[in-house]
Amino acid sequence: MHIVDGALSNPVVIGGAVSAVGGIAMGLRNLPLERIPAAGVLSASFFVASLIHVPIGPSSVHLILNGLAGLVLGWAAFPALFVGLLLQAVFFGFGGLTVLGVNAVNIALPAVLVGLMFRPLVARGSPLQGAIWGGIGGGAAIAFTTLAVAVSLMLSGDEFILAAKLVFFSHIPVMLIEALLSGAAIFLARRVKPELFVDTKGSLA
Amino acid sequence: MIRSCVLILALLAPLPALAHNVISSVFPSGSDIEGEVGFSNGDMAADLLIEVFDEAGGKLGETRTDADGFFLFTPSEPVTHIFRGDLGAGHVAEVIMDAAEVAQIMGQSPSMAALAATSTADVTSASRSAGLSDQARAELATMMRNELRPLRQELTAFKNKSDFQSVLGGIGYIFGLFGLGFYIAARRRIGGKA
Repeated sequence: MHIVDGALSNPVVIGGAVSAVGGIAMGLRNLPLERIPAAGVLSASFFVASLIHVPIGPSSVHLILNGLAGLVLGWAAFPALFVGLLLQAVFFGFGGLTVLGVNAVNIALPAVLVGLMFRPLVARGSPLQGAIWGGIGGGAAIAFTTLAVAVSLMLSGDEFILAAKLVFFSHIPVMLIEALLSGAAIFLARRVKPELFVDTKGSLA
Repeated sequence: MIRSCVLILALLAPLPALAHNVISSVFPSGSDIEGEVGFSNGDMAADLLIEVFDEAGGKLGETRTDADGFFLFTPSEPVTHIFRGDLGAGHVAEVIMDAAEVAQIMGQSPSMAALAATSTADVTSASRSAGLSDQARAELATMMRNELRPLRQELTAFKNKSDFQSVLGGIGYIFGLFGLGFYIAARRRIGGKA
């Protein structure tokens, strides 16, 4: 999921960095004081989620948990995931510093999209209904991320269909696991802390 | 509640930790350049096309890895060699051997090549003083390289290992950063009210 240094062409890397800066600015503007601790916790869980490996065949893929961050934070997921990615690059060597922007866009943009699409649905109805929508959102975020990775590779000259297939199919187990995890987390949050999905003005965010 | 749950999840997470980075390295091997490519979890890249470029991006040649992820390349020009292997899905291995090192390999007769690897240098000079033939020395060098190979592999894997300390350190950084952000935001709000 993390693209490494040297895999992408320069225009893609620069484009990714510029969009990442935009996304972070947008996210910080949408991060009220009350949400900062939640953003920190989700950033930390994203940071360690990449160490949980799901073995498939001879290889393994790791969890990402960007969907959950998007569902809880909306646009604010962008800076939260960026911080997690930065530290993953520094501490574990996942990805790299030059491709940080591209990776941030690939992982945080689907989170934001899922947040915008599913957040009203997650906040509405019974906790169980919310959990189901949360699960769908969690899985969809991974699917969008695989597509974004494939697009980044394509823009750098890889065959799109081939790259997309490879990344998409190898992440199907992750999608299922993340759907379950996100659903469970949303269910729990709706039961014990429903105000997480209501913004400070009292309306459904 | 969700926070404590996430925190518990976070603390349990590193137990099955396995890094998933691309590792690659090149080293002199007689008159050839030997290298290895694989993932840090021990999966080596078998039968992978390795392309060799010079500094300007011109292609010098290509080679393939064997079943254990090792490849051999015989340099023909004393320029900087850049080895690239595409492992797919955004995983690219790139290693560079600079011109001086390549020149050193090319300038040497195969029997002297072991001098390039510091750990084998002592043995070679010792064997020379013991009056060994060139052939025996070459065999000794090959033997040493084979003996050192697993050690080198283990060392690379170790360097790429993500241990518990760095996981906790990273979490600490995140909480510290967001704490700082919270402090600044709170101060701004209090300042705005005053």
